[in-house]
Amino acid sequence: MGDIKPPSGAAETPTAAQREYLSDDPRDIGWVKQNVPCQTACPAGTNVPVYIREIIERQFGRSYETNREANVLPGVLGRICSRPCEAQCRHGWPGNGEPVAICHLKRVASDLKDAGHRITERLYSPTGKRVAIVGAGPAGVAAAHDLSLLGHDVVIFEREERPGGMLRYGIPEFRLPRDTLDIELHNALRLGVQMRTGAEIGNGAGQIPMAKLEQEFDALLLATGCMAASPLPLQGDWEKRALRGLEGVEYGLDFLVQMHRGEKKVVGKRVAVVGAGFTALDCARVAARLGAQEVTIHIRTAEEYIPVTQEEIFEAKREGVRIKGLRTPVGLTVEGNRLTGIEFVQNRLGGWRAGGRRQAIPIEGSEFHEPCDTIIIAIGQQTVNDFLGTGLELDRWGNVRVGEDGMTSHKGLFAAGDYVNGASTVIQAVGHGRKVARRIDAWLMGRERRKQVVRIVPVEQPLRERAFDFIPRQHMPTAQMAERMKDGRHEVELGLDEKLAFEEAKRCYLCNLRYEIDVDRCIFCRACIEVAPRNCIKLVRGVEINEDGAYGKLLETKEWNQVGAIWIDNNECIRCGQCFKACPVQCISISRCELTEVEI
Amino acid sequence: MATAKNARHHVVIGSGVAGSQAAETLREREPDARVTILTLSSLLFYNRYDLPKVFRGHRDWREFLAYPAEYYKDHRIEVRRCSRVAGVDGSRRAIALEHKEEIRFDTLLVASGGRGYIPEELTEYRPLMHPFSSYTEAVTAAGVVPERGHVIMLGGDMIGLDLARTLVDTRHRVTLVAGQQTFWPHEVSEDERPGLIAALEKMGVEVVEAADAGGIASIEKGARGLSARRVLFRDGTELYGDAVMPFFGLSPSVEFMLGSGVDIERGLLVNPALRTTSEGIYAAGDVCQIWSDADKRYRFFYGWKNVRAMGDLAARNIAGGAEPWVPAQDEKLHIGADGKIQSPFWEYE
Repeated sequence: MGDIKPPSGAAETPTAAQREYLSDDPRDIGWVKQNVPCQTACPAGTNVPVYIREIIERQFGRSYETNREANVLPGVLGRICSRPCEAQCRHGWPGNGEPVAICHLKRVASDLKDAGHRITERLYSPTGKRVAIVGAGPAGVAAAHDLSLLGHDVVIFEREERPGGMLRYGIPEFRLPRDTLDIELHNALRLGVQMRTGAEIGNGAGQIPMAKLEQEFDALLLATGCMAASPLPLQGDWEKRALRGLEGVEYGLDFLVQMHRGEKKVVGKRVAVVGAGFTALDCARVAARLGAQEVTIHIRTAEEYIPVTQEEIFEAKREGVRIKGLRTPVGLTVEGNRLTGIEFVQNRLGGWRAGGRRQAIPIEGSEFHEPCDTIIIAIGQQTVNDFLGTGLELDRWGNVRVGEDGMTSHKGLFAAGDYVNGASTVIQAVGHGRKVARRIDAWLMGRERRKQVVRIVPVEQPLRERAFDFIPRQHMPTAQMAERMKDGRHEVELGLDEKLAFEEAKRCYLCNLRYEIDVDRCIFCRACIEVAPRNCIKLVRGVEINEDGAYGKLLETKEWNQVGAIWIDNNECIRCGQCFKACPVQCISISRCELTEVEI
Repeated sequence: MATAKNARHHVVIGSGVAGSQAAETLREREPDARVTILTLSSLLFYNRYDLPKVFRGHRDWREFLAYPAEYYKDHRIEVRRCSRVAGVDGSRRAIALEHKEEIRFDTLLVASGGRGYIPEELTEYRPLMHPFSSYTEAVTAAGVVPERGHVIMLGGDMIGLDLARTLVDTRHRVTLVAGQQTFWPHEVSEDERPGLIAALEKMGVEVVEAADAGGIASIEKGARGLSARRVLFRDGTELYGDAVMPFFGLSPSVEFMLGSGVDIERGLLVNPALRTTSEGIYAAGDVCQIWSDADKRYRFFYGWKNVRAMGDLAARNIAGGAEPWVPAQDEKLHIGADGKIQSPFWEYE
């Protein structure tokens, strides 16, 4: 059968969709990784510009599905993500203003999609392979979802009564409502994943031995997270003294887990939280809701360097929490068995530690005392390995060692999430869970079944206006103080409405748009350079090629006899479209470049 | 403005007491240098401590200027008004202004001061409050408080209490909602506080302890025929007034320095020579925390005399000196023989 021709027989201009193509050229893959910083920064690889563009088009359901392709919990992460994407957003680069509220827009997709919205899943036929996953936290759930799509039979073993891991037991409801969590967990697991809650792995009475799982399943994935609170290192007499059992001493992780299991927690009037992460902030805000009159977070460095969002810090302060910096606890003061205060030493800022954190250097002789009646220790979390009953290779931090393929030193035994990487973030756990799921699939099937390519779609005209660059970041509406404090469960952030969402979405530069000048058609009139708002169009004599084959540094020149091309520096470009509009010979083209996957 | 071709360019961010003093000293020490002040203000340097005069009928901006415009011309100090700094790149020694202009410097002195802090729990009521930290705000506040009107003062730092003295003197009624920031930046012990509160009352200021009323629940706009503002407390009590004015101390203006390479805790951290952790960048005034060997910590030094001395010292060190900071005034709050509060921070020249 021949091609179907148009009835008139006239030649038709192909549409953009017809002219799109897939590329596995490393220069194209490298271009996306270099030029779409939000997507590159996202551990799950969320296609941010596309889902924001879909919000502008008011396609909220489609936007939600774009999110779900990378992350099965958009409504959850839209509330509690640590937002590594926003830290890299081009709109937040020097001179460009504030980053786009990418996380809030993720929540918009979840909040504003239609009721009864249709979930899209790409299902593979059953493989007959069985995979056991230990732990129903974000890494385990993300891996279970992907493995079930790939046709494997998945069973999750979860120690707690309900799935969700740290999402359910570690994050307060005022940040993450449980109905949102329940719906998204259900969506992630309903494609045949068996959930066995209250099932503890180990060799004790009533526990399921690992050896039994190894016999019954083709592959095992450990995703038990970091469920032990790190001890507080103190000095002098307190160095070896046990803190558990002292009245007024709580460990942050245990404090939150016990509360979310339903235990009644009580704090004193003057609460000191030691730690600088989300858990510390959550503990402080919970303490304020439990009636503490003075809640202070004590940190080793300064507010600028703690790994939580500015919005979380601001909301905590609104609730009366105060942050005091440059101090490290070195001891406690007690009366009998009851805590009365903390001994600190003053710090100064030092250099940078690996991982981008600042060092704090104690100052000799600068000890001081602060009274309190409750201390909540939230300085980190560690993995627990005693349930394994089998000797796995561990790294120097006590985390299980895995190879490039995600497999531990035991054949067929994989590990993912915080259990491998140490305490990290939910989005890192989700991203790692998905990555390891792919590795498990490749191991079970004997080959990779999908590969990454770039979909390149011609775009007819700029999708933005220069005026969008001056829209300020839209602020998240929040619950009134009286509302939020009377009920520890009342959600604080209320979500952007459609109007706010639309304004915020317009701010996105849509960095996945590639602007290029066709040098053969360029008449070197400089019109584009004249209208460019930044130093984004350059006279170049050449371009370096990176190791991965992608384009690298531009070799600029000011000598006309050396100019090889006028080149749009997509790293500087803010996709305002001014050059496209100004070009008298239409030699500037725009194409949308999206990372995607195809079957091999 | 003629400057030598290879003259250094000293940029000062902020045209308050510290910044202006620094510019003056820099000009004295380096006659050939280029000196530029960048300021958000539309006015040339004026002393903030003069602002209570607006309640005595002084509203003309010319009365507030410390120096006439010719002074800057004569001293070859370029003042760039209404210039908001978006960021500072310490490694490139470049300042990005919000309107996309870039200014290069050889040395930079950050003297951006502090803005009136409003506790985060009260920020949603910001539109209903009248701050008093600039000439424009002062004139606006004076415009809304009628003759013999009633001002509800929240917090009551020493800037606010200075204004309260003028308000009482001009027959306005002042009710202070006292809290942790009352008497800021003085550190007042629990033993000293009742005596100081009593002294305030003796000075004619009515005092309500916020904690006794459970804290502030909300601030509301009065309906037609009622007072312009209502402050509602958690215990159900309330206060009515013509204006609500926040005085909770100062919050250092450091946002534009994030990512500059300069260490920040609450303010910019500087060594005793007022140099930041970034080569060529200094800080002075309410924006900086100075390392104190005596206290073994970084600390702020407030007060007009201290701030002026910091501006002067920073400039001398920029010009090649290496002198350490020595406080220029004491910080002890006390009650005078007349039973009224006396603060070294109220001693102006």
